Amino acid sequence: MDNARDIIISPLISEKTMELMEENNAYTFKVVKKANKIQIRQAIEEIFNVKVVKVNTMNMKGKRKRLGFTEGKRPDWKKAIIKLVDGDSIEIFEGM
Amino acid sequence: MKVKQERLEDNKVRLDVEVDIDEVNEALEQAYKKVRKDVSLPGFRKGKVPRKVLEANYGKEVLHKDALDILVPANYQKALEETDIEPISEPEFEDFYIAEDEPATFTAVVEVKPEVELGEYTGYDVEREDVDVTEEDIMAVLNKQQEEQSQLVSVDRNEVQEGDHVIIDFEGFVNGESFPGGSAEEFTLEIGSGQFIPGFEEQLIGKEVSDEPYEVEVTFPEEYQAEDLAGQDAVFEVTIKEIKIKELPELDDEFAKDVSDFDTLDEYKEDIENRLQEQRDNQAARNLENEIIGKVSEAAKVEVSEQLIQNELDQMMQQMAQNLQQQGINMEDYFKYMGSSQEEWREENREQAADRAKNNLVLEAIAEEEGIEVSDEEIDEKLEEIAEANDQDFEQVKAFMQMQGQLESLRDGLKMEKTIDFLIENN
Repeated sequence: MDNARDIIISPLISEKTMELMEENNAYTFKVVKKANKIQIRQAIEEIFNVKVVKVNTMNMKGKRKRLGFTEGKRPDWKKAIIKLVDGDSIEIFEGM
Repeated sequence: MKVKQERLEDNKVRLDVEVDIDEVNEALEQAYKKVRKDVSLPGFRKGKVPRKVLEANYGKEVLHKDALDILVPANYQKALEETDIEPISEPEFEDFYIAEDEPATFTAVVEVKPEVELGEYTGYDVEREDVDVTEEDIMAVLNKQQEEQSQLVSVDRNEVQEGDHVIIDFEGFVNGESFPGGSAEEFTLEIGSGQFIPGFEEQLIGKEVSDEPYEVEVTFPEEYQAEDLAGQDAVFEVTIKEIKIKELPELDDEFAKDVSDFDTLDEYKEDIENRLQEQRDNQAARNLENEIIGKVSEAAKVEVSEQLIQNELDQMMQQMAQNLQQQGINMEDYFKYMGSSQEEWREENREQAADRAKNNLVLEAIAEEEGIEVSDEEIDEKLEEIAEANDQDFEQVKAFMQMQGQLESLRDGLKMEKTIDFLIENN
């Protein structure tokens, strides 16, 4: 877990996160469940070379999915919303 | 927009068009708005995908095709206006280039009207035919009407003569047996009309009306439509029941009243004369036109391309469809009825179309050479005429024609007329 790229899994792009980007300069990522806010802040700053103002995290429950009678569950995951200082931005669309 | 034109072989012109950056970006935005409606991606509802996300997913090129669809036709039209090119074919577009924040380019290749090398177009000694209506011509019309108005009347005469209409029963036998279609009752036969097989009518001349049948012996001609009868000898039993003759009405004022709106025969004759004269004058004028145009066209050199012929054929076909429509006939039905097809028709009329195309080009060239133009006033005049002829309001007609884009073709038509007038004056 020392490597920054092991903490950040992928950006999360949806209507909602797009709005956050535009209005709050906040970017949303899927992160490793065990990571804490400090690790996430450091990872983001290292990877994207930006300054982070605030990190909000939340644990998301994996969706219940059933296939016939067998019910399964997608893994739980952690969402991190990272607010950057004004003027910084992350170009996250490359290779999406 | 910038445009460069270059002349190619075969009367083709290549237009290199460059579209301004602003317009390109505008078109891309429009294209995005159009595409957006049908796209959904994970995380986005249908129609809510931002342009950035869309382009990141599918590549920037997704919007290019749609943007070109917007840009190319519009700018092609502008390029035509700028270069004053009148294409006669659909353009072939190629070499598209488009990218955001860059000028877009494309080329269009179109065929244009060929150059016309005019020959002599004045000084031909062409005279209008003199066509006076003679007394005979008038009488011919009257006699025909007389014929139409004639009635069959019985006569006090027992002997059949040439020209009589006899009412007969007959039954025919070949080798002693009657055959289908060989008998009839109360049949009206004009002697000398040649309606029956040769010899039949002649043998009735001199016979009298009676209840007793006469025997008429004839031989069917070798080329008779019913094959089993051709060349056969036949005997007909013919009963002459009545003799009638055709009575023509007297040519007098009474007759004039019957067939026309005039009260006296003299007035009617004058009307016929006028109408005939008008008809023939028109015909003579048209002949004259055709002759002059034919000569001038022959003297000129034009390369009539396949495209021109096809265009002309299209036009002719349209005209025909319109004529048929007026008679309430569908074009498909017409071809079916004629046992022909559109393709065959086009093949048959190729030469005529080529001639027409050439004539038009030559006339246009002459109009240009002589500076023949049609002014707006002249168009208004013509419109007024049309309005009057159709009992409509002038403004209405004008607005309608404008809407239909027919004013230009009206102008072209008038120009043709003026050119033809010019030719007639100078020949």
